[in-house]
Amino acid sequence: MVSKDIKVNKEKILTCFHYTSDLTTYEFESNYGIKMLICYIEGFIDRKILNDDILKPLVLGLKDREKIRQLIFSPKIEEEILFENIVDELSHGKLAIFVDGEEKAYLVEISSWEKRSIEQPGAEAVVRGPKEGFIEDIAVNKVLLRRIIRSNNLVFENYKLGQQSKKAVSIAYVKGVVNEDVLEEVRRRLSKINIDAILESGNIEELIEDKPMGLFSTISNAEKPDVVAAKILEGRVAIFTDGTPHVLIVPKLFIEGLQTSEDYYIRPHYASVLRFLRTLSLFISIFLPGIFIALQLYHQEMIPTTLLISAAGAREGVPLPAVLEVFIMIIALELTKESGLRLPKSIGMTVSIVGALILGQAAVQAGIVSGLTVIVVSIAAIAEFTIPDLANALVIARIVIIVLAGFAGIYGITIGFIIMAVHTLSLESFGVAYGWPIAPRDWEGLRKDTFTRAPIWKMVFRPKVLQNYNYRRQVPPRKK
Amino acid sequence: MKRKILTTILATIIFLTGCWDARELNELGISLVIGFDIEDDKVLITAEIINPVYSSEEAKGDQIQSVEYVQGIGNTILEASRDITLKFDRRLFISHNKVVIFGEEFAKRGLVKNIDQLLREREHRETAKVLIAKGAKAYEVMGISSGVEQIPANYIAEIVNNIKYNPKTGDVNFIQFLKHYYHEGRHPVAGVVEKKSKDEINKVGNDGSDKDYELTTLGMAVFKGDKLVGYLNGNDTKSVNFILNKIRGGIITFPTPSENQEAENLRDFSSTVIIENKTKRDVEIIDNKVILKAKINLKTSMGEIIGDVDVSNTENIKKMEEACSKAIEEGITLAVKRVQEEFKVDIFGFGVEFHKKYPDKWKEIRDDWDQIFSEAEFQINVNTKIIRTGLINTPLFKIKVK
Repeated sequence: MVSKDIKVNKEKILTCFHYTSDLTTYEFESNYGIKMLICYIEGFIDRKILNDDILKPLVLGLKDREKIRQLIFSPKIEEEILFENIVDELSHGKLAIFVDGEEKAYLVEISSWEKRSIEQPGAEAVVRGPKEGFIEDIAVNKVLLRRIIRSNNLVFENYKLGQQSKKAVSIAYVKGVVNEDVLEEVRRRLSKINIDAILESGNIEELIEDKPMGLFSTISNAEKPDVVAAKILEGRVAIFTDGTPHVLIVPKLFIEGLQTSEDYYIRPHYASVLRFLRTLSLFISIFLPGIFIALQLYHQEMIPTTLLISAAGAREGVPLPAVLEVFIMIIALELTKESGLRLPKSIGMTVSIVGALILGQAAVQAGIVSGLTVIVVSIAAIAEFTIPDLANALVIARIVIIVLAGFAGIYGITIGFIIMAVHTLSLESFGVAYGWPIAPRDWEGLRKDTFTRAPIWKMVFRPKVLQNYNYRRQVPPRKK
Repeated sequence: MKRKILTTILATIIFLTGCWDARELNELGISLVIGFDIEDDKVLITAEIINPVYSSEEAKGDQIQSVEYVQGIGNTILEASRDITLKFDRRLFISHNKVVIFGEEFAKRGLVKNIDQLLREREHRETAKVLIAKGAKAYEVMGISSGVEQIPANYIAEIVNNIKYNPKTGDVNFIQFLKHYYHEGRHPVAGVVEKKSKDEINKVGNDGSDKDYELTTLGMAVFKGDKLVGYLNGNDTKSVNFILNKIRGGIITFPTPSENQEAENLRDFSSTVIIENKTKRDVEIIDNKVILKAKINLKTSMGEIIGDVDVSNTENIKKMEEACSKAIEEGITLAVKRVQEEFKVDIFGFGVEFHKKYPDKWKEIRDDWDQIFSEAEFQINVNTKIIRTGLINTPLFKIKVK
């Protein structure tokens, strides 16, 4: 409870914050003799507003301690009597004003801190389509989404997660379109989170995932408001987290990994070609090095003669067994990828030159690996980059397949494929089958938006697996 | 619990299989052609093994031989091939064999009886072509390459493949050979490879002594059962290929039916290019006599005309078609006659047709079929269609006159 004496209050606040150095407490007196105390966290608030619009009118004009609202013009001014709430709000960037002789405090929202400007996200670059991406500030992110869905049906629900971090988290959905079962499930899982700190949306993802040890992630994330808008308009739920540009979206289907936002902005023919290429690269990326090893070790009769001769010629003088050779190349590739990612830009050049050396002609000339291995591993890596959403899982799947191929040839690859397929298709995301529309089969979904992309006017219905009642998306302008 | 059992089983499957049959590429001696001979009553195997280094980067410019030849001898094929391991550093890998060459002597002793191992062994490829070294040992024809291909095996395989440009050669692989061997009322044929010294005209640009010889696959080897009995010449081979429905291309040359008879010269010939061919064999019994029939439907394109014939005229095309049909009929009749008289074996598969058509009668004559075949009358019906005339209609010299 707030005391009438501001001295007591000041002492209490400071004790609560353990005399932290960035908490500012300032006692002053108005021209009419009313004593006041303001508290705020340094750097969290707008100093200009504090000086001009709060301190100045209070010092010059506060006569009656009841009439503080007539001097401070802000819609976000609240009265609070509970001390713990005041402490809580201070760390969210509010200003607390204690007036001597009143048993309450005024909380004014004048928070302001440095933000990154809205930029094109690095991971989801597009040629055609909006280029703005989310930033770290949740309020800005929400506005970005509402600018796309200007409907009263767009609803945000706020949460505070983490005992220490008290991270602002919001779920967003379109009322009337959202799958209520999924929404209820999201609410239930979020409310069960009880952790000291949420640092990034990845933490939430792991805490609410269906099968946290699964190979593929069953929660998608996006950095672009148009992607989030498109997905929640299909009936999904988005989870915004303060402090990160990555917004989580549930439920996720496997095929979303093969889709990009740009597919829906360019003409459907080319989009279909791209879809086909991505499907192909999914298989190339997982299986090509494995098949290469299996053919080389067990099924030489399946290689075309000319290729066999040049492959054998390339392997002459290579000291390592084929499996080890591929592993060395993959390790070199992953090292190059990782170091290129973390290094400061100024020495990024060095990495690319060194990378080209160890992954290229020099490695072949040194006789450590054969030229064919370099090509196979590089193709697999390039294929992986066309599906960034699944890329992490692909690396692991590829290594598993290589080991199996080294042990048992095509037989091993088949076993690996079966295990992977069974695992992937048995996943669920918030009660929705992850493998839809491949298994469970849905011809409508398969035909229109899986390995090909139908024209927008043909996509009359929303994905059925995400919906429980509101299927129709449009009345198409053309009739067949 | 179920999960644990499943995991255990899967782990067992993966780890118990192991890599016992894994073979690194640089442990293999990849053979592309293999030859079989009889020497001192023993099997002599000659294999042409690729030296893979010749294709790699470092070998560019160096004179590295593209192939090595190894030989092994033994009582069985397997013994002979293991004999090779005593002299050669790599294990013979025969999955990529394109051609298998048999020496004449080996083929005369009976082919099928002695190649059991080739079909028992999982490595051997049944699509390899069967060739008989005419009048020679298999190893004598191996290693000769007068083509552009660096690897002699490819050279042999390609000249057999050229059947699509000239059907005067036999293109038979293991599956076909054995299928024909097992057929009742049929005897197999096989391709032929012959070593020839290059004649004058081929000596242009000849630079090395090893290039003095070339190979030819002209002709066909005729078998009785699994024993080689003789060879057909080029024209007969072409006719046999016609009846066996194996024509995939090639040309037909016939005397030009010229417009004005006085200008007709015996040396005037024309050629058509085969586009498509379909042959139907048939057998009929009339008055207790067996009649062998073949019906050929041929689509061709005019390839060359020497003589005064304007093919823009439909009637002239008819004449050409008739002349072409006649030439084929004559050739085939001659070939069948020669087979009937000389070899007395049914290599055309008329017996198979007979078996299909008169299954009851077949049982009675089954053992005498070759005799019946060699005495039977042969009827041929060729229907040629010239569907294209080439870029010009009138013969070239006539355009000049006008």
